[in-house]
Amino acid sequence: MSLPKLTKDQVQKLAFSAIGFVFLLYVYFTFFLGPLNRSRAAMLVTIQDRQSKLDASKDEMKKAVSLEKQALTATNRFAALRALNPEGAPIAWFPPRIKTFFANHQIDKAVARLENSAAFKEAELSGWMKYTWMIDLPQADFASIGTAIAELENTEPLLSITRLHIQTLASQPQFQHVELAAASTIEKR
Amino acid sequence: MALHLNLLHEEILEQRQRQRDPLKIGMMVLAGFGALLFLYYMFCAYRTLEIKSRLSAIERNWTKIEPEVTAAQKRVAELEGVIKTTRSLDDYIENRFFWAPFLQRVSHCVPPNTQLINLEASVLDENKGISVSLEGVAAGREPRSVAEDLRQMLIEQLGHAYNGVKVEFKTLEDLDTIVNVGGTNMPMAHYLLGINLHPGPMAKSAASPTPDHTRKQ
Repeated sequence: MSLPKLTKDQVQKLAFSAIGFVFLLYVYFTFFLGPLNRSRAAMLVTIQDRQSKLDASKDEMKKAVSLEKQALTATNRFAALRALNPEGAPIAWFPPRIKTFFANHQIDKAVARLENSAAFKEAELSGWMKYTWMIDLPQADFASIGTAIAELENTEPLLSITRLHIQTLASQPQFQHVELAAASTIEKR
Repeated sequence: MALHLNLLHEEILEQRQRQRDPLKIGMMVLAGFGALLFLYYMFCAYRTLEIKSRLSAIERNWTKIEPEVTAAQKRVAELEGVIKTTRSLDDYIENRFFWAPFLQRVSHCVPPNTQLINLEASVLDENKGISVSLEGVAAGREPRSVAEDLRQMLIEQLGHAYNGVKVEFKTLEDLDTIVNVGGTNMPMAHYLLGINLHPGPMAKSAASPTPDHTRKQ
């Protein structure tokens, strides 16, 4: 079948139609199908992301439950250690506490003064402070101070004696002058 | 045979030409292609809507779970922090040097004819050990040997509990003073002992015992 001869008018129409077709395709892919596909792809990515988060969250919940069981000892121990020190500024409660402690061991005139305080370098102890105290016992006998130090070390686990100075009193040889430097670890409140 | 006369020849030809009009055919093809594109678009839109509904279901699920997950994550971080802090505090507690057992051992070493005048002790930085300085006087026929006995006793007693025990005289000198011990006049010597030691496993783990009532001489 031979193609019919086209008139000029028909050729023009065909040319315009071809241009219109190309324009239509452009509009179709750019403004309709393109955004639709993009939004679908974005949604698929979001679904994947959410799904992985959901899967991870299940693991996270399981981990929290098992960790809660495992950490029971640690949390109890932590609570016990926290409870060792009362609320408030240590300078307010530590010296009276030490004075009472030594008074209970027949060592009077115990004086505790704060030497310095510093934060710990370890990140896990960032919530705790190290206070260094000078404890002066002007008159104590060796047996009493030995007993008192033993009890202090056993009842105050967060207290560490870093320096000890025992000197005989020339006027009363049965007594000694004792100086202790003690570092106590106290939670920041 | 019947004779057929086509009197509408021109009209029929014209009609056929109209039917074969390329513009018309092109328009029909275009319309068909457009319909196909539309159908494909509809298919894609349907799939997108389906995915959107899936996404919103997951989003709803996530919104419901998210506070619990956040709380769980927070709790995990908190618990891990508690565990690490407790471990560090336990290390701190276990690495303390207990002075009471040390004083007890020193008091056991001091014989009746020596007297300690001064005891100065400190924990060296970064767990490098313990440094102790003991000052005292010893009396006896041979006061220097009494002081030496004390040094030997300290090495023996402290060596049972601590590592790397070193006991050395910093000073040991005779004194002019004579002291009466048990009714006998005896010369005296002044000594200064330097003790260095490292807390051994026994000293680290053992809690301070209550010392007996051995008095300092």
